[in-house]
Amino acid sequence: MAYNMGFWAFLRRDLQLINRRRGEVASPLIFFIMAATFVPLGITPDSELLKNIAPGIIWVMALLATLLSADSLFASDYHDGSLEQMIISPQLLVMPVLGKVTAHWLTTGLPLTLASPVLGLLLSLPTAGYLPMMAGLAVGTGCLSLLAALGAALTVSLQKGGLLLTLIVMPLYMPVIIFGSATAQYSIQGLAWGGPLAVLGAMLAIAIALCPLAIASVLRLTTIN
Amino acid sequence: MNFQFDNVSQLLNMAGHGIYVWTAVLVTLALVAWLIINPLLQRRDVFKEIAQEVSREQLRQHANRESV
Amino acid sequence: MNWNWFYRMGSPRWFYESTSRWLPWLGILTFVLLAVGLVWGLAFAPQDAKQGNSFRIIYLHVPASFLALAGYFLMATAGAIGLIWKMKLSYMVMKCAAPLGAVLTFLALFTGAVWGKPTWGSYWVWDARVTSMLILLFLYMGVLALQYAFDSKDVGNKASAILALVGTVNIPIIYKSVDWWFTLHQPATISFTEAPSMHPDMFQPLLVMILGFYCFYAVALILSVRVEILNRERKTGWVRNLVKQSTDKSLGAEL
Repeated sequence: MAYNMGFWAFLRRDLQLINRRRGEVASPLIFFIMAATFVPLGITPDSELLKNIAPGIIWVMALLATLLSADSLFASDYHDGSLEQMIISPQLLVMPVLGKVTAHWLTTGLPLTLASPVLGLLLSLPTAGYLPMMAGLAVGTGCLSLLAALGAALTVSLQKGGLLLTLIVMPLYMPVIIFGSATAQYSIQGLAWGGPLAVLGAMLAIAIALCPLAIASVLRLTTIN
Repeated sequence: MNFQFDNVSQLLNMAGHGIYVWTAVLVTLALVAWLIINPLLQRRDVFKEIAQEVSREQLRQHANRESV
Repeated sequence: MNWNWFYRMGSPRWFYESTSRWLPWLGILTFVLLAVGLVWGLAFAPQDAKQGNSFRIIYLHVPASFLALAGYFLMATAGAIGLIWKMKLSYMVMKCAAPLGAVLTFLALFTGAVWGKPTWGSYWVWDARVTSMLILLFLYMGVLALQYAFDSKDVGNKASAILALVGTVNIPIIYKSVDWWFTLHQPATISFTEAPSMHPDMFQPLLVMILGFYCFYAVALILSVRVEILNRERKTGWVRNLVKQSTDKSLGAEL
């Protein structure tokens, strides 16, 4: 039996399902761009000041946008019973989980990464910061998706799970934002930005290895009870 | 090792830092005390509840026996 | 190897009855240690050359921080034992350790803030340790919130145990990240951490306070677990007998 059994099938399935509700998926992206507008409005339009905080703001907005879309990761499958089917079927539960998380990243993290130059433009991000910002976001949003899936699994059976999900996942996000933001900031300051990026990569590696196991055991716990 | 202050009012004042040190001490002691007293009070309440349950059950048993 | 002793420890009744014997002594020890440590530190230890008398808050701040962190690991370990051996008593310990640890974390943050004002001029400073302690508080709050969110207590226990374990894996990562972040942004001149070497006259009362706080944590935790046991096992014979004996005693005292 191939070890990747089910992964591509579930990835395809989830992408098809998301495709049917395209509008819903666009909202984190729109939120991302709109919320970044709050910063110049609320703080200052002075580009000298903005360019210092631009990487951090972009990261905070990416974080919030990911949390917004986290709720729907397992919700619809839980409510129509297909999650139970996945759990009791003979394949490894980590495969559907990884497939769903990858689909989530492809439809949330990747668009955010690709849209970040627009925000960089709005927030006066210095030119040196664009490529590192995108690299950091590409890797970091993978971590964000995996951790958001963990929170979603813990709160899937709850009524008002959304806020609790945010509360649970936020502390786990803090190392990611530290190094993600530092990737762009290092490049802007002229330092080697491969370092923080490598740390982000290490975090992603740990997350890919461990999160699906935790998510699978949590799903078994909260769904079949 | 000797007493660091000349008198009690100096102990309270602590060269101007007194308010900070004593605030920290009082809040700490209050929380520590509460963390110990609270379970003790809860235990007393649980005992009362269980005693009530037991006496209610006994009354019910008496009533059942008499009605038979 | 005979594991009976381990399984016997998982019996709530055994826990309640054996702690009833020695808990009062531990309580007295706690009181003595804390009283001695506090008086020694506040009145008899020499003051710091740079910080003056405000440094005496260290005798409260450091023990609270130690216990806050150790308490999280204890909570996660209790959760892990509950998950692996399905021991209800272990889940009860985890449940009681959560609010206790959260209060201690808050205390560490509060005493740190009060210490910061006279020493560095402001109540809050984003230095590495303070930020890590704040994130620890958030981790505690997440576990607490999750425990009470589920209808089924069983599911709530297991979910909190898994979350506590995830948090445990994350704590070293968080600490290291925050440490690194702080050196990235730290203003060059001031060092916010205490001098690593302390004069023995200042260190000895600190040791007494740390020991005293550990004992206090044990007492507070055991007291909470005992209440939890009484609640869970209220329909059993031994609890009923216990209550009966104590009400008889109190009636006797009234007469």
